[in-house]
Amino acid sequence: MDEKIAIRVEGLTRYYRNLLAVDHISFQVQQGEVFGFLGPNGAGKTTTQRMLTTLLEPTEGRIVIFGHDLAREPYPVKRQMGLVPEESNVYTELTAWDNLMFTAQLYRVPRSERAARARELLEAFGLWEKREVKVENFSKGMSRRLSIAMAIIHRPTLLFLDEPTPGLDAQSAHAIRDLIRQMNAEGTTIFLTTHQIEEANQLCDRVAIINHGQISAIDTPERLKAAFRRVQSVEVALEPDGAAHGEALAALLGVTTSVKMGDKWRLYTEDPSALLPLVMDYARAHDLRVVSLSTLGPSLEDVFLEITGRQVGTVRHEAAEEKPARRMKGGGR
Amino acid sequence: MKDGWLQRLSDELAQAWTVAVKDMRVYYLTAPMIMFGLLLPFLLFFSFSIKREIGVQVGLARLLALTTFFTASSAGPVIIPLERRTGTYNRLLAAPMSLFTLLLGKTLVGAFFAVATSLVPLLIGLLVMRVNVVNAGLLVACIVLASLAFSAFGLVFGSIPTSSATAVGSIMMPSTLVRWPLLFISGVFIPLTEMAPAARAVAYLSPLTYAQDLMNHAVLGRGLLSPWLDLLVLLLSGVLFLVLSLRMHRQSRRLGY
Repeated sequence: MDEKIAIRVEGLTRYYRNLLAVDHISFQVQQGEVFGFLGPNGAGKTTTQRMLTTLLEPTEGRIVIFGHDLAREPYPVKRQMGLVPEESNVYTELTAWDNLMFTAQLYRVPRSERAARARELLEAFGLWEKREVKVENFSKGMSRRLSIAMAIIHRPTLLFLDEPTPGLDAQSAHAIRDLIRQMNAEGTTIFLTTHQIEEANQLCDRVAIINHGQISAIDTPERLKAAFRRVQSVEVALEPDGAAHGEALAALLGVTTSVKMGDKWRLYTEDPSALLPLVMDYARAHDLRVVSLSTLGPSLEDVFLEITGRQVGTVRHEAAEEKPARRMKGGGR
Repeated sequence: MKDGWLQRLSDELAQAWTVAVKDMRVYYLTAPMIMFGLLLPFLLFFSFSIKREIGVQVGLARLLALTTFFTASSAGPVIIPLERRTGTYNRLLAAPMSLFTLLLGKTLVGAFFAVATSLVPLLIGLLVMRVNVVNAGLLVACIVLASLAFSAFGLVFGSIPTSSATAVGSIMMPSTLVRWPLLFISGVFIPLTEMAPAARAVAYLSPLTYAQDLMNHAVLGRGLLSPWLDLLVLLLSGVLFLVLSLRMHRQSRRLGY
C-alpha cells in the first residue's frame, strides 16, 4: 500500500441499465492534494463521486481509499470522509445548531468537543448569530455554508465537494474557496467535482477531465495548458466599430478561431508573436485605433473546450456559420 | 478511544438512537404522519365500531391492535421518501454506520410513535372507562413488540427502490393497498372465530392476526392461539421485514437510486 495515495480507482465502470455512464476509468489522488474532477453535464462526474462515497455500487472496478477496499471495508473510509453534495442536504425543520449537533453525534464526535466545534464552524461561516434560526429561513448561500460545516464537523481527512459554489453570491463563493484552501493547507485531501473551470484552475493541484464517461486528460492545470499551445490567443479591441472587423481579423494568417469577447476580439493562434504585427498592420490599413492588444496563454477553459468539444459558460458564442479551416464565433459577419 | 467490536456496537446503537431522535423531531408533526399515523386509526375504529355492540374491553383490545399496526407502519412510507427527495437520506447512507443501524433507527421512530399513540386509548380505557386489563405485563410486551414489527413492516414500503423524485403519495399507495385489506382479514373487525375456514387460513398469514390475538390475551384474558406463538410470530415478522428492507436498500444502491 502506498501511504501517499488517498484514492486509487481501477477500471471503475457504471452502467444504468444499458447506458454506460462511467467507462473503465482509472486514476489516483495523492494525500493532501486538491483534485478537480471536471466535465460537462452528463459526463459521469456525479456518478463517479457517488461511487467513491459508497452511495452507488460500481458495475465493475475497484476503489481503494486510504488503503481500504471500499467494497469490503467501507466503515473506516466513511469515518474519514466528508461529503458536500450538489444540493444542500440540510434539515430545514431544524436550526443550524441542531443540524450540526445531529451530524456530530452521527459521526461520533466526542461529546466534550461537539459544542466547541459547532461554534467554531458557525463563527467561521458567519452563521453564529443565526444558530437558533430554523434552516427553512436561510438563504441558499447560508444553507450551502451550513451544509459544508456539517460535512467537516468530524474533521475528515478526505472531503468530497460536488459543485460547491454555483448559484451562490460572490461573498459566499469566496468564503467557500477560502475554506477549501485552508482545509487543504491543514492536510485534508479535497476531491472537487465541478464544471466551474476557473474555480478548478484556482484551487486544484491536478484536474481530471471526464467526457462521455472516460477520462480524457489528467494533469496539473499548467501542464494541461502547456499541452494545448494551439489555443494561445491574441486579444484586441479596435475603434471605431471594432465589432464589424471580426471576419477580417479571423482571416488573418495563423488565426484558427475568433471569439467576440464584449468589445474585444480573441484570435486563437499557435503563434501569437507572428500574429501581433499582422493585427497592427490591419489596424493601420483600416485607420483603426488599437485600444488594447494582449497575448494570452491557453486558459483551462480553452483546454476543457478543446477536449470536450462543447460550449461551456458564457464566454464563447457559437457562430452562425462555420468555416472548415477557421471557426468564427461570436459576432462575425 | 476504545477499539474493537464493543466500541463499534456502542457506536452503532448510539447512531441508531441519533437517527431516531432526529426523525422524531423533524417528522412527527408533519401532515402525512398526523393524517396516516394518528388520525386514521381512530377514524377507522369508530367507523367500524359504531352501532356495533362490543364491550369496552373488546373495543380497547381492537383499538390497541389497530393503532400499533397503522401508526407504526405509517412512518417508513412517509419519512424515507421525504428524505430521499430532500437529499438528506444520502447524508445518512454516507455516514459511518451500517445499513442495519440506519434501518434500526428508522424502526424505532415508527415504534415510538405507535407506543405513544397507543397510550391515548389505553389511558382513557384504564382511567375513564375503568377497563380491567387482565395481564398488564403481556399488554406492554405486546404493544412494544407489535409496534417494532409493524414499524419494520412500514420500512419495507419506504425501501421500495424508487428515484429521489418519487412523491410520498406514490409510496403511500402500495402501502395502503396492502395495509387496508389486512385490517379485514386479521380479526380486528371480524373475530377469527366468526370467519369462514378459508378466510381464517388467510388470516394466519397476517402478522396483525397475532398482534390482535395477543391483545385479546392481555386485555380479555382469552385468545385463539398460544400467546407464546403470537409473541414468536411478531418477533420473527419484525426480523423478516427488517431483512427485506435491507435487501431492498441494497437493490436501490445497485440500481442507482
